[in-house]
Amino acid sequence: MTTGDFPADLRGRPRTDRAMRVIGTVLSHYLRAAERAEYKDAVAGHNPDRAMNLVVTGREVVAADDDVAAITLAARDGGELPVWHPGSHLDLHLPSGRRRQYSLCGDPRDRHSYRVAVRRIADGGGGSIEMHALQPGSPVTVRGPRNGFPFVGSGSALFVAGGIGITPIIAMVREAIRAGMDWQFVYCGRSRQTMPFLDEIAQWDQSRVFVRTDDEHGLPKPGELLQRATQGGAVYCCGPTPMLNTVRREFRECPATALHFERFGPPPITNGREFDVRLISDGSVVAVGADESLLTAVKKTRPDVAYSCQQGFCGTCKVRVLSGTPEHLETRLTPAEQQDHMLICVSRSAGEQLVLDI
Amino acid sequence: MSTTSEPDEVMLQARNVEFDWSRLPMHWIPGDPFTTHVLNVLHLLLPAGEEWFVETFKQALPYIEDEKLRDDVIGFIGQEAVHAGAHTGVLKHLQESGLDPTPFTDQMDWAFGKVLGSHPVTSLRDKNNLVERLALIAAIEHATAFLGDWVLNADGLDRAGVDPTMLDLLRWHGAEEVEHRSVAYETMRYFDKREVRRLRTLFIVAPMLVFMWIRGVRFLMAKDPLLADLPKYRRRPHMADWRASAKRGTLPEFRHLAVRMGRYLRRSYHPSQEGSTAQAVRYLASSPAAQAAAR
Repeated sequence: MTTGDFPADLRGRPRTDRAMRVIGTVLSHYLRAAERAEYKDAVAGHNPDRAMNLVVTGREVVAADDDVAAITLAARDGGELPVWHPGSHLDLHLPSGRRRQYSLCGDPRDRHSYRVAVRRIADGGGGSIEMHALQPGSPVTVRGPRNGFPFVGSGSALFVAGGIGITPIIAMVREAIRAGMDWQFVYCGRSRQTMPFLDEIAQWDQSRVFVRTDDEHGLPKPGELLQRATQGGAVYCCGPTPMLNTVRREFRECPATALHFERFGPPPITNGREFDVRLISDGSVVAVGADESLLTAVKKTRPDVAYSCQQGFCGTCKVRVLSGTPEHLETRLTPAEQQDHMLICVSRSAGEQLVLDI
Repeated sequence: MSTTSEPDEVMLQARNVEFDWSRLPMHWIPGDPFTTHVLNVLHLLLPAGEEWFVETFKQALPYIEDEKLRDDVIGFIGQEAVHAGAHTGVLKHLQESGLDPTPFTDQMDWAFGKVLGSHPVTSLRDKNNLVERLALIAAIEHATAFLGDWVLNADGLDRAGVDPTMLDLLRWHGAEEVEHRSVAYETMRYFDKREVRRLRTLFIVAPMLVFMWIRGVRFLMAKDPLLADLPKYRRRPHMADWRASAKRGTLPEFRHLAVRMGRYLRRSYHPSQEGSTAQAVRYLASSPAAQAAAR
């Protein structure tokens, strides 16, 4: 390394920094030593494929309106399945090739089966219809369980479940009851017909339970959902996004200190327009639909494009804009950075086309 | 205390945070500029360091076929990116308060950006360089894991009346380090399962961390405008100051640091041994900065 390569002295003396010269030289020699050898695949620790081939062993309707089915899965040989904790979900590969995630709603102490509950949605992506069509004996490949909503209960907890959000919550409440915790439970739904597991819930200590339905109680009033939260306690919430947003907002006025919820993927796109993106590395043009993000569109041909939060705050997906005007919808970049960069997970194009350094 | 076993492995996602530094005093541990500046070294090192983590892991991601590890790495990258941004916010405040950190941070940008920085991987030699960087990061992540565990349990900091916003930054960051403590190790292992790759990096990382810390505290204390009128001896850090803080529980004891860093040498080492995921998750659910960012 030549003198021009080193930073100035830390204390402003008129020379390059001595300590940095030493450290820079040591580190660059160290890495250059690594480059003298070629990487050999033989040293890699190849991880085994974690997919499990399970089979449906049970199917039960669990809501009065027949639209919610609880599916039980087990290993073909009846063997033990991986341990899970309340809040975990399973990643199912359906026969059609679709993949869907469902929270585990059974008993973690049952090591030989997994149970999920699915509401049938007639005009969704078809996943729930396929799940409802599964019969005992159907094979299903699964990955997981993974936990994005861990129950770390101690002390007191208020559980708030909306609609099919009951699935992870019910496993948590059972755990809280077993552990002798101080718990309260609020279960919201459109009507009792649509809400699963009401029979089981009726067996619990009813002084701790509030089942509220829109048709009987109307829509929740401000602060109502969190009314039973205790000073210094925790709140666990799972349900439709509007309910979750309400709880997150109202949590500020609430005496509880910890809020747990499952953090889902990207928000839906509202008022999006179609536009094109040209990728400079090979000149290819990607069409971005009005209801998909730039990231989703680019991932189709560039599956390794970097991203993380998908909500415009972490900055991982930052790319240089070579031409065109972005519509910045994120909260991370400085105005200077926004001159020639954008976050592709949420930002879009103000014009017809963007040219990106991808 | 519940008798349930607690989850030790959770899905990783970046959390958005909002910190308001406008009311942060220069000596945010009241009456203790030494410990304040020891902990301030984090703000000098982490922005450039964690951006280097992000760039290195972004380079590694295309080679990772294991789905679960891919998901973990994507979450890890986002968390480290948010960490770097949060610590940069403190640097701005220090500058506005009359302590200009840029001579030091410029050097960190140079060290992490130029010396250790990534160049495109176009050969198996370049790939070996990438894997060596992953191994260096795994060693650093071991340190951040046990330091995160320390800060979550350090009630000495509460007793000392540490500024609540800064305490939240330290604990939110520490909790996420505990939460993702296995990712860098698992990634290194995915590419290279040999002990020799893992262990040699400790002999670079440990001395570098010690050296950078001493250098950082000396720099900050020399530049602290509130210490300008003190005699030279009082403007320099001393081992006795550290021992005094360790006694009060506002810093870890030297012996504790050495023992925990040394655990990396054990053949049975695994990062999951270095902290409690459940404790980290509990803190993160209660972090005021994470709740403030909820729109």
